[in-house]
Amino acid sequence: MSNRPILLVEDNPDDVLLTKRAFTKNRIRNEIVVAADGEQALRHLLPAEGEALHPALVLLDIKLPKIDGLEVLRRIRDDDRTRHLPVVVLTTSNEERDIVTSYRLGANSFVRKPVVFEEFVNAVNALGVYWLLINEPAPAGPGG
Amino acid sequence: MSTGTAGPAAGDRPLVQVGLDQLMALIDHTSAVIYMRDADGRYLLVNREYERLFALHREDIVGLTDHDLFPEPIADTFRENDLAAIARGHPVQVEEEAPGDDGLHTYVTVKFPLTDESGRSYAVCGISTDITERKRAEEEVRRLNDELEMRVRQRTAELEASTRELDAFAYSVSHDLRAPLRSLEGFSQVLLEDFAGDLDEEAQGYLRRIQANVERMAQMIDDLLHLSRATRTQLRREHTDLSALARDVAGELTAAYRERTAEFRIADGLVTQGDPHLIRLVLQNLLGNAFKFTAHKPDAVIELGMTRQQGVDVFTVRDNGAGFDMQYAHKMFDPFQRLHSASEFEGTGIGLAIVHRIVVRHGGQIRAEGTPGEGAVFRFSLTPAPADWEIR
Repeated sequence: MSNRPILLVEDNPDDVLLTKRAFTKNRIRNEIVVAADGEQALRHLLPAEGEALHPALVLLDIKLPKIDGLEVLRRIRDDDRTRHLPVVVLTTSNEERDIVTSYRLGANSFVRKPVVFEEFVNAVNALGVYWLLINEPAPAGPGG
Repeated sequence: MSTGTAGPAAGDRPLVQVGLDQLMALIDHTSAVIYMRDADGRYLLVNREYERLFALHREDIVGLTDHDLFPEPIADTFRENDLAAIARGHPVQVEEEAPGDDGLHTYVTVKFPLTDESGRSYAVCGISTDITERKRAEEEVRRLNDELEMRVRQRTAELEASTRELDAFAYSVSHDLRAPLRSLEGFSQVLLEDFAGDLDEEAQGYLRRIQANVERMAQMIDDLLHLSRATRTQLRREHTDLSALARDVAGELTAAYRERTAEFRIADGLVTQGDPHLIRLVLQNLLGNAFKFTAHKPDAVIELGMTRQQGVDVFTVRDNGAGFDMQYAHKMFDPFQRLHSASEFEGTGIGLAIVHRIVVRHGGQIRAEGTPGEGAVFRFSLTPAPADWEIR
């Protein structure tokens, strides 16, 4: 199991709390780094200077302050350092255009947050099992 | 006045010799304006209508030109048209304008040259018919058309703007209204899990009630979004296999409610030209309803079939469930109308409004029949039908 951190890009503190709880309930103990807007997310992943975060997985909300999730996704895919980073769009929307745009910009998966918490816990479990355990990630580093 | 009277048996007798007087009588009794001018534009002859129209006597006109009678630009045009007929050597048809009591009148005029034996044109005859009324009517029609077109453009722009607004609204609803619901549901669950010891049975019951209502509200938001999507998304007509879609939906229903035993009888080869995404929503709602309202039946049967009514394909969803009272049938396609209490059958009351909207957008019709305790049947078409056609 990958023990690299998970980057949670989410501006709603309640959702942050509930998502962290869902990970804990599923015994996923990877560090969860929270970015409360798109700008923070890009500072973690593509810093102008200093060490970049190399997460095992990015959980990306679409509707975010400053830079929205789709733009964050576009910049992640535009940069050699993060081109192959697994990005799961985790959002409230199930609007067709959001789904289509997400995949077009290179999202690995699109998950609509269920309202019922137990269903959300199950979804987080499935995501954790797949992306941290089953999936073989691309080697880190430029062009990797 | 004897104006060349030929009796009913004219064919048996020699024709009456028509003289100049008779010909003059003929041209004097028409509503057209008739005149003859020589090659230099001098009047040789005018008819009575001409005299009436311009309040002149023919004796006073003969020998004059149009430049003596009309304002210069009008006279110039008359002269030009005369010369054109002379130059061509055969009749020409032109539209001309001449002053009248109530402003300019428009005439459609046929002008033809008179030629001598050597083929030289020595005069021009003109027959002018007043088409001012027709012109005005045409002008009015054109003006109304322009106005109508402008109004259509305006309305379309307004409609597009309101569709964009609706779109933005629905998008915002889908995002922003669900987020607080997740918090309500989630933290209720946290209370139940982490503080179960501090909460007695009654308190836990209230939390579950909150959760149930949150879930219901989430379902309503989703249904409203479907309803709005059924209206605003562009309809794409393509080959659609209703049998396959229905089997898909039936599979989902049986998988989601494993404790239920319901038999789906879906006819093969039900196809139409329609929007597969929207038609799937129709089947989801109708089959979902049938599934729901047969919940209390041990031998539930849900059928999808097709009949043809006067050449129109009519699809049928039939169940042997709770049915409904026909006196409320007219209300059932309105949003938020429910014919059963929430405790009896859950639902948001939006499903049939979605179905109705999609059917109407396809140019089709829908009709529901029910008998309480025996079942319901929904018949719908998905193609435009003849004007007086009504689904039975």
